[in-house]
Amino acid sequence: MFTIFNQSMRRWKWQIVGWGSSLLIIAVYLMWLYKPMVEQQAQLKNLFDAYGKEMLSFFGGTVDIFSAGGYLNFAFFSYVPVAIGILALLLGSGLVVADEEKGTLDLILAHPVTRTALFWGRWLALVATLIAVLLLTWSGFAVGLSWTGLDTTVWQVLLPHISLLSILVLFGTLALFLSLLLPSRTLAASVTGALLVVSYILTSLASVNDTLEPLNTFSPLKYYQGGSAINGLEWGPLLSTLGIALFFGALAWLLFLRRDIRVSGEGNWRLPFLSRKMKASAANHANLR
Amino acid sequence: MNTSSVVLHAQGLTKSYGNVRALRGVDLEVQRGEVFGFLGPNGAGKTTTIRILLDLIRPDGGMVRVLGLDPQKDSLAVRARSGYLPGELHLEDAETVETTLKQFNALRGRKADWTYVRGLADRLDLDLKTQAKNLSKGNKQKAGVVQALMHRPELLLLDEPTSGLDPLIQQEVHKLIGEAKANGATVFFSSHVIGEVEQLADRVGIIRKGVVVEVAETQALIKRALRRARVRFGGGIQIPALEGIPGVSILSRGADSVTLQIEGEMDALIKALAKFPVIEFETERPSLEEIFLAYYER
Repeated sequence: MFTIFNQSMRRWKWQIVGWGSSLLIIAVYLMWLYKPMVEQQAQLKNLFDAYGKEMLSFFGGTVDIFSAGGYLNFAFFSYVPVAIGILALLLGSGLVVADEEKGTLDLILAHPVTRTALFWGRWLALVATLIAVLLLTWSGFAVGLSWTGLDTTVWQVLLPHISLLSILVLFGTLALFLSLLLPSRTLAASVTGALLVVSYILTSLASVNDTLEPLNTFSPLKYYQGGSAINGLEWGPLLSTLGIALFFGALAWLLFLRRDIRVSGEGNWRLPFLSRKMKASAANHANLR
Repeated sequence: MNTSSVVLHAQGLTKSYGNVRALRGVDLEVQRGEVFGFLGPNGAGKTTTIRILLDLIRPDGGMVRVLGLDPQKDSLAVRARSGYLPGELHLEDAETVETTLKQFNALRGRKADWTYVRGLADRLDLDLKTQAKNLSKGNKQKAGVVQALMHRPELLLLDEPTSGLDPLIQQEVHKLIGEAKANGATVFFSSHVIGEVEQLADRVGIIRKGVVVEVAETQALIKRALRRARVRFGGGIQIPALEGIPGVSILSRGADSVTLQIEGEMDALIKALAKFPVIEFETERPSLEEIFLAYYER
């Protein structure tokens, strides 16, 4: 498992560097931006008052954006699950199926490595990659914190990253599960991406529209604290999110254990009903000729 | 370590992909130390059989033992002692051949002797520093051969080992297979290049539509199979005399000669010909290719 973990980390090192350094720069920039924002507090308040509640709900709602938690949420943590979520779902959906579709999994599994070791070794590498990206992001905030005057500490700023990590692990693992259930990696990533966006919209709008609250119960992002986590983590939602991620991980592992490894070229098989539809369409086309 | 003489044993192996029945009851037995050629055209079930042996896919029914072990329950042990070359080899594009081989070696607990690996690469004229994305099909295949052999496995499972290789390198691969055998390895390889099977295999199995229709020693199969004879008569062709001889059929006829196909003993034919003036009588053994085709024409 350790070898698989190492090899996966080596493979994803550029993802860590690319995503991590970009987010680090954004974090530093956002920290730098805080002071000028505070200086223009009055004008900005007028501006935000002019926006509708629905609009602001997508940036953390009508909280005080000049407080530490409010600013971090508004400027970064409110929308970043969708942005870094793309990395999580791409890694998750490709964790084993990308190699299968490329035709390289066949040869890897012909070596003395169990499917369990391959699966969990790579899953741990996925989690470690997300942690590495978030640590780089956090270091950007940590560096910037010294000149912002934001009323918080480096360790408090770490807490929203932990909440974010739980959501990213959930969506990454969901993408992994779907990749083993659906016909292709692309479809699994698309479905997970759609779920992520729907969850983001639903949870954002539910904060201003109570009628959406029953539906919001099923939205993973409801259990994401965002910037408000600097005041302390809510362990219940955090552990529940990680628990559900592990549940999907266990389901995916069982599917992988029972899976016939496909060889390259078999990667893009279609759902049966689509296949029938396409056959019918091809037959019609042939009849018309 | 299991030292049983039977290295591969499959009984009643079945496998379907949806409505397609890839294997319909494969029975096989491969002895320790032999080179076994698995012949069949595309889609006959060769690759499916090999992939079941390594637990890459699971059979629907039947029993399989590799090195005396159940590949599903003891997959780790089976794979640790086997070397596999897939029919369609794909490597990580961004990595060099050397990095890829080192990664595979790491999965095997770094057991390969790197001097031996470099020696294999040299013999196959393979540059280890090339990135996989820049490799031709033939060079990828060479990398596949090296990774299959580099840990000196006791069982080699090779799916079309010389596919895409030029004739010189094909000969080198044949030599490597011969050396592996000389060192005690068992080699199970699939091919549809019949000349290769004829040259390498101690025994051959012919698979047809998911069923093994023949298993025999390669030379014995050739010997006992159909022969071809060309007869030139002195006084015109005596066709009626040749018709009705058991096991003899007429393939073609010329002005004064006839080509015959003979199955089994030639005694009846020779006795029949003895009644006529025969100027020339030539027989030839069929190649394995002709035997193979005969199975597929049935």
